[in-house]
Amino acid sequence: MIATIVHTDELLQTIAASVVAGIGVTFAFSVGIWGAGQFIELSRNERPVAATAALAMGGLALACVAASIVIGIIVMTSK
Amino acid sequence: MDSEIILILVIGMALAFDFTNGFHDTANVVATSISTGAARPSVAIGFAAILNFVGAFISISVAATVAKDVVDAEIITPTIVFAGLIGAIAWNLITWYFGLPSSSSHALIGGVVGSAVAAVGFDAVITEGLVGKVLIPAVVAPILAFLVAGAAIGLSYRVVGKQRPGIVTRGYQYGQILSGGLLALAHGTNDAQKTMGIITLALIANGSLGADADPPFWVIASAATAIALGTYSGGWRIIKTTGTRIIKMDAAQGFSAQGAGATVILASTHFGFPLSTTHVINGGIMGSGAAKRLSAVRWGVAGNIFVAWLLTLPAAAAIGGLTYGFTRIFGTGALGPVLVTLMALSLVVAAFARRAQRGAPVTAAGG
Repeated sequence: MIATIVHTDELLQTIAASVVAGIGVTFAFSVGIWGAGQFIELSRNERPVAATAALAMGGLALACVAASIVIGIIVMTSK
Repeated sequence: MDSEIILILVIGMALAFDFTNGFHDTANVVATSISTGAARPSVAIGFAAILNFVGAFISISVAATVAKDVVDAEIITPTIVFAGLIGAIAWNLITWYFGLPSSSSHALIGGVVGSAVAAVGFDAVITEGLVGKVLIPAVVAPILAFLVAGAAIGLSYRVVGKQRPGIVTRGYQYGQILSGGLLALAHGTNDAQKTMGIITLALIANGSLGADADPPFWVIASAATAIALGTYSGGWRIIKTTGTRIIKMDAAQGFSAQGAGATVILASTHFGFPLSTTHVINGGIMGSGAAKRLSAVRWGVAGNIFVAWLLTLPAAAAIGGLTYGFTRIFGTGALGPVLVTLMALSLVVAAFARRAQRGAPVTAAGG
């Protein structure tokens, strides 16, 4: 009875999507900020290679944020 | 002729309900961005209104749930939908008057269920849809937002903990333009669809649409416009009270709270769960606060939300049921709904006038 009333699959997918997107996007955005901070810090210390690597990592993380938002909206609108 | 008059009253009431939903929920959507300095109030409110409008066009899953999965559309009449709307609006006004943080979404569903039970009996209620798609997600979603926001902010502090505070704050403030925008989009998507669902239910009940029909474009566009106008209008009042009503948090917490709220609402909307967006957003805010310091959370507010959550469905259902009974005193025609509309308008004007006289700020029921 309970099993037929509870939309277990949909509920679990909602939980999984919220956890992955909510935590993942915040984590990736934080890595983006970390990359920008490290780039400024390492550039000041005249370490251009490390600074560029940090900037690239931050940029990649921000690209992941943008991609996940676009994918999310495509999934929402495609149903 | 009578059924057309009732249908027009239902559509008018539903759009008015949608407007008040946007009006009330502006604070939830923009408060975090404003309090952390991520956006100026005028910009945040304008942005939220536009994204509320856009969000309403993204999906119709929630509208389908409200129209088809809560009560049996084939045995519902426009008068039942009308009485349900009155139940929701009345409960919203009562909670607004006393400053209780209730959910307009739960009030709407409670009102329709109550009037349907009063009119047809429990056979009109689709228990599976009501429990599985409304009640269980209503419990799960705010807890999920709380946990996601808490985990997200914990992780963020670990990643940026050793960076200079200036760049971290500026970074998350920019991020809040994104997360605040997503939250406004999510709010428009879930909340505007409830109005679409109610109008669609009334159109099906009136025989204007088939039982399996989706909301027509004019229903989607009018619901989107009503919630966006409500958000924009509500915002100007919020600007005046911003300083006293918003929980102080840093930009990283604001970003996590908004991000968690937006993802939970968007994911739930995708599966057609009509949530209380207010409860989810508050869950996110409390989660990001609790992860930093447990005492930062206003647990009293959490308790009020819980009590209001428990009361809303039965109270709105009772008012919806009584309203249906009252309309039936005057027969099955339009006289009952017209009289109720006139009485409701008088009460609304009186409540606003009395509240304005007392000079109290607008505290609100939410979506």
